[in-house]
This record gives sequence, C-alpha cells and structure tokens, in this order.
Amino acid sequence: MPKHKLVLEKISKKFGPNKVLRDISFAVEEGEFLAILGPSGCGKTTLLRILLGLEEAESGRIIKDGKEITRLAPAQRKMGMVFQNYALFGNMTALGNVEYALKKQSGDRILARETALRLIGRVGLTDHMDKKPHALSGGQQQRVALARTLAMNPDIILMDEPMSALDVETRLALRSEILGIQREFGSTILYVTNGQEEAFAMSDRIMVMHEGRIQQLDTPQNLMDHPANDYIRSFVIHNIRLKIESLIRYAREET
Amino acid sequence: MKGSKGLTGVKYLLLAFFAFSVFLPLIRMLAHMAGIDIRALLASGQFLNALKNSLVVTTVSTLISVALAAALAWLVERSGIRFKGFFTLLFTLPMLIPSISHGMGLVVLFGANGILTNWLGLKGSVYGFWGIVTGSVIYSFPVAFLMLSDILRYEDSTPYEAAEVLGIPRGWQFTSITVPYLRRPLTSTVFAIFTLIIIDYGVPLMIGGQYRTLPVMMYQDVIGLLDFGKGSAIGLVLLTPAVIAFLLDVLNRDRGIQSFVSKPFRITRNRVRDGLAYLLSALVSLGVALPIGAFLLLTLVRKYPADMRLSLDNVRRTFQMSAGANLGHSLLIALFTSLTGLVLTFAAAYLTARSRGRLSKLLHLASLTSLAIPGIVLGLSYVLFFKGSLIYGTLAILILVNLVHFFASPYLMIYNTLSKINQHLEAAGQTLGVSRFSVIRDVIIPQTAGTLGEMFTYFFVNSMMTISAVAFLATAGTRPLSLMITSFEAQMMLECAAFIALLILTVNLVVRGLFAWNKKRIGRGMA
Repeated sequence: MPKHKLVLEKISKKFGPNKVLRDISFAVEEGEFLAILGPSGCGKTTLLRILLGLEEAESGRIIKDGKEITRLAPAQRKMGMVFQNYALFGNMTALGNVEYALKKQSGDRILARETALRLIGRVGLTDHMDKKPHALSGGQQQRVALARTLAMNPDIILMDEPMSALDVETRLALRSEILGIQREFGSTILYVTNGQEEAFAMSDRIMVMHEGRIQQLDTPQNLMDHPANDYIRSFVIHNIRLKIESLIRYAREET
Repeated sequence: MKGSKGLTGVKYLLLAFFAFSVFLPLIRMLAHMAGIDIRALLASGQFLNALKNSLVVTTVSTLISVALAAALAWLVERSGIRFKGFFTLLFTLPMLIPSISHGMGLVVLFGANGILTNWLGLKGSVYGFWGIVTGSVIYSFPVAFLMLSDILRYEDSTPYEAAEVLGIPRGWQFTSITVPYLRRPLTSTVFAIFTLIIIDYGVPLMIGGQYRTLPVMMYQDVIGLLDFGKGSAIGLVLLTPAVIAFLLDVLNRDRGIQSFVSKPFRITRNRVRDGLAYLLSALVSLGVALPIGAFLLLTLVRKYPADMRLSLDNVRRTFQMSAGANLGHSLLIALFTSLTGLVLTFAAAYLTARSRGRLSKLLHLASLTSLAIPGIVLGLSYVLFFKGSLIYGTLAILILVNLVHFFASPYLMIYNTLSKINQHLEAAGQTLGVSRFSVIRDVIIPQTAGTLGEMFTYFFVNSMMTISAVAFLATAGTRPLSLMITSFEAQMMLECAAFIALLILTVNLVVRGLFAWNKKRIGRGMA
C-alpha cells in the first residue's frame, strides 16, 4: 500500500447547532488532482479552511506525509491556497505580491527576487509584472495568485473556486495552465468547485459532497458509470452526461 | 483561527474603554438626578418655555437648512456650472469654525453697531428667533450639503432614461423616482441636522437674546449656577432627539450598503438652469464670506467703527491675554486627539469589519454611540464622573472627551474602507507564513492611507473648534482657543473674539490643505 500524501480521519465541524461537516474521511495521493464538488453550503470551503488551519475542527485528525498536523498553525502546514477572489495585496505590484512572503521568510532579497521572477515568467506575466492588481484582468490576477502560492513551494495546493469569477475563455486557458503547472511541479492539488464540467475535465478523482457528507469519491468515469446513490445520479449525472463526455474529449485534446 | 484569541482580547479592551469613557459617565450623570424633583423641574414654566423655543427654532432652521443644502447639492451634482470644487470649498468653510462664531458673525454684521447695520442704515434687531435661525442655518447647512451631495452623486440615472423613453412627464418622474430614492437618506439627513441644531448652544448663546433654548439653559445652569442636577435633567432631555436620530441612522444604514455601480448622470446644456445655479452659488458664497470678511475688518482696524485706522493692536491684545498659550493647548489637544483617535478607530473598525461574532457587533454599536451623545451632555457627565481623578483638570481629559465625542464619524469612514478590502487577505497571508500584524502593516494600512488622512483631518479640525464637550472641563491651564471666543464675547471684546475665530479657521484650513495635497499625492502613487 502506497503512503498517502494526506489523510483526513473523521473530521467534523459545527457552527452553532448547524453541522457543516460530518465524519469526513478520505486520503489524497502524491501528485493527485482531487476535485471537491458540491453545491454552495455543502461544507467544501469549511473543509479547506480546516485543512489550512484557518478554522479548527471539532473532532478528527489530519495527517500529512505520515505526520499529524491537526493542531499546527497555518504557516507550519506547508499548504498553499489560491482564493476565489485572488486576495492579492492591492498596494503591491504583481512581482511584489509573489516575492513579499519569500522576502519575509528567508530574508534573502536576491533569492526571493530570482524565484519571483522565474514564477512570474512561468505564469506568463513577465510583461505585466510591474502592474498593480487593479490594472490586471481577472485571469492575470489569478495567475499572480498562483505564482504567489507556488513561490512558497507548498506540499499541497488548495484552490477555492479559483475560476468562478472568470469568463469562459479565460477559464479554459487557465485550466490548461493549472494542469500544466501541476504536471511540471508534480503538485498535489485539492480543487474546490461547484462547476461539474470543470471537475470532470480536470481531476484524477472527484469527491462529491452534500450536506456535510461525502456522497462518493471516485474517478470521473466511475462516478458516471457507477453512481453510488440517487443524489449522485440526479445532481451529477442527470442531464449532463453527454455534455461532460464531449467536454472531457475536448479538454484531453486541448491539453 | 490562529491569533483570534489576541483579537478577542483587544475587543474586550476596547469595550472596557467605552465602558469607562462613555457608559459609566452617562450612568453617573443619570444617578446625579436621583436627588432632585425632576417632575417639578420639567413642569416649570422656564423649562417648558425653553423646550418650546428649542423645538420651534430648530424645526424652522432644519427646514431652511436642508432645503438650502439640497439646492446646493443639486447644483453641484446636476448643473453645468464651473468651479464646482471652489464652490464646494466655500460651502463647507463654515464647518471649520466654532458654531459660536456664526452667531458672532451675525452680531458683527447686523448687531446694534454692526457693519451692515451702519452701512445700510438697517433698523430692527438681529437678536432672538431669526438670529438663531440664520446662525443655525449657516452652522448646519454644510453638513447637510455634504450628506446630500453624496446621495445625489450615487443616484442611478438609468430609471430617468427609461422614464424619458416611456414619455413619462418630469413631474411624475420626480414623484415616482426621485422621492422614493431620497426618502430614506433625506429622513436621515433631516434628523441629523435637527439633532445638530437642537443640541448646539453656541449660536443661541451669542445671538439668542431673550429667546432661551434648552442647551443655553443647561450651559448657564452648569457654568453660571453650578446646578449639576438641573443640568443633568436637561441633558437627559437633549439626549432624546440624538438617540432617535442615532437609531434611525443605524436602522437605515444597515440596509443602505449598496455596492452596485450606478450609471452617473450626464449633464445637458441648459442656460437658465446654470444661470440660476451661478446666482445661488454666488449668494451663498457671499453669505459665507461676509462674516469672515467682517472678522478680518474687526481684527485689523483699531476700534470699529470709531477708529478705522489699520493696526495690529487687537492681535497684540489677544496674544497678551494668553491666546498663544491657548493656541498651544488647542494644537496639543487636536494633535493627540487625532493620533490616539486614529489608532483607536482603526483598531475598532479593523476588528468589527474584519472579524465576526457577537463581540464585534457589540463593539460596532459602542463605536457608534458617540453619535447619540450631545457634546454638552458628554462634558457634564465627565465632570461628574472624573472629578477627583488623576486626569481631571489636565489636557488628558480634554483629549479623551474629544476623542469620544468625535469617534463615530472617522470610525465609520475607516469601517467602510476596511469592509471593502478583500476579506481573505489575512488568510492569504497566513497560508504564506506572513503574520496578521505584517499584513496589516504592509498591506492594509498602505491601502487605507487616504482614509486615514481624512480621519486625522476630521479629528483635528473638530478638536480645534469644539466648544461643547470641553466647556465644563477646561481650566485656566488647559483652556483651548475656541473657548476664548465665549469669554471675549462675555467681556464685549468682539475684536479679539473675531481674531480667535480667524486663527482657528487658518489652522484648520492649513491642516485640511495639507491632507488634501497629500491625498492627491497618494492618489497619483496608486495609479
């Protein structure tokens, strides 16, 4: 049995009387792209925040690379996060955003600058690196956020609906960019989304969540072929099966 | 979240600050009334007369003030006139001098020996009802003007375009689009202005004559007769309209946060409209400039009207009566109020705008309460609560009372700015291994620099000119400049009082100018 990259054991969370997460357990493998799919309010963002250490779980354990990290501070978990609305530092340039945390942590300004320049180049923003976020398009801002996350060389990258504010064309371009980077860096990615087609086109496996529970965790193909219950059948499969199949073909040809 | 224990700690600290600087003093003031027969006091002819006077004069002043402000706001936002920035500066100039100088301006112009009285051979007296109305209008219309300009600036023009296309007549457009849009904000404005006027004692003290209003009665009871019990009872009455305005504002505001981008109005050419707009702007500008011109004349001639030779005698005389020391007090008070105010309002707004929970809501309400407490009431409650304490009689208590008195507006400015900044910045920082404190220092503060400048100016300008909260608390060793106007007026030394008003205006103009220049610089830097 291979050693898992990340294991969650019976994670539960309540907000007041409201049970947001109920006994969430699953494992993620090294280099895997796992989508967490579900409607808004299903608990997927809370799950990410617990993984990051921004929120504390009521019960359960998180194990990364064989070590428990349940009680570690966010900065010690070596997890990166790409936010839905980018969360860029508005007073800094694109380059400044990428190198800021590097400078703070290592204190080596030259190395920080070199790393930042390399990553800005990798996401295709060398021509725009002196611009501030408000002068960049949504897609460019999300590329900056991606580079900023990569700069910290995280063990796992979490993404919270990173493309929900972008138009269709930008999404398709960014989609292949993310997959390309994942292959190049061998990153393990947890990708939260409520877009079914996005999840099916990008992921190795998909975890479908509903009302704080995992409904099914499987490959896109198996989800379609062997839906675990009626919810999967109606929410995921119904009406879109054909569309998804054509999109998967399209995305495979693209990337 | 990591570090949220620290945040909770700061929230408790700030709540404790409000408990000691707002709520306990007020409770102390209410407790002071226990010994006196409130019913008899409130039923006395003197009190009822003052109450009636206050209500009548405030109602009339409010109506005129808001109507005038609406016209001015409309001409700045909707007409095609030029020099709008200049006119806006002039229209808001009265906000830079104490309310009492507006009364004094009228006395100097229209009093028994007034400049215009002599020049035009006017008959009749400016003292009394219409004097208070005129002074109160000058004092309050700039505030209403700023509130209404804001409302008009963000009105969406699309419904009017739709109405034009549908051929709906202008009259109907007004009743079916404009009136519903304005109802809420206009109500807020009317209540705010009503409160501003009814709790002011500067204007009526100076020009009221026999027409006594409640704040003047309270002021005289406390300052003249040292009757704290009666003062407290009147203070309680004065709290009522302020509390109503506050509640209305809070209820209105929560629903009023609209972030959608509205389509601005396109201003068409219209000569008649613009001609009228120029005429009104010129008239109001004249009305604002006249008293200031009169102060200048009074200051610079030897003895108006007997000896019209130019001289600096009045300036010298004013400085001989420790105007220099008092200017120093004022600058110190204003500077420290601004600096501590900046830190505390930022801390409070940061916590309420960027962290959730019941404590945040409580802190938000506590931060806004100063809107509901008239300065004169706050001042009296401080006398009763802090008497005998270490800070009583020092500059510190004046700084504290100003800080509390002017807390709400700068708090709201920075609260709005902080609410608009991406809510995930701190979380992003944490995942990158950057502490919350670093994110605040390196990212959030640089992004709010413009607002911080405005807040500083607000604290500073208001601390320079306030007379209400500090009147009962200042001693000879701590007296701010603004209070010299009251004493000079009592000694019939209007020339010196006029010079003090000019001095305050100059300092405030300089501070405002500096920050306007700085904001422009910041604005360029961001682009």
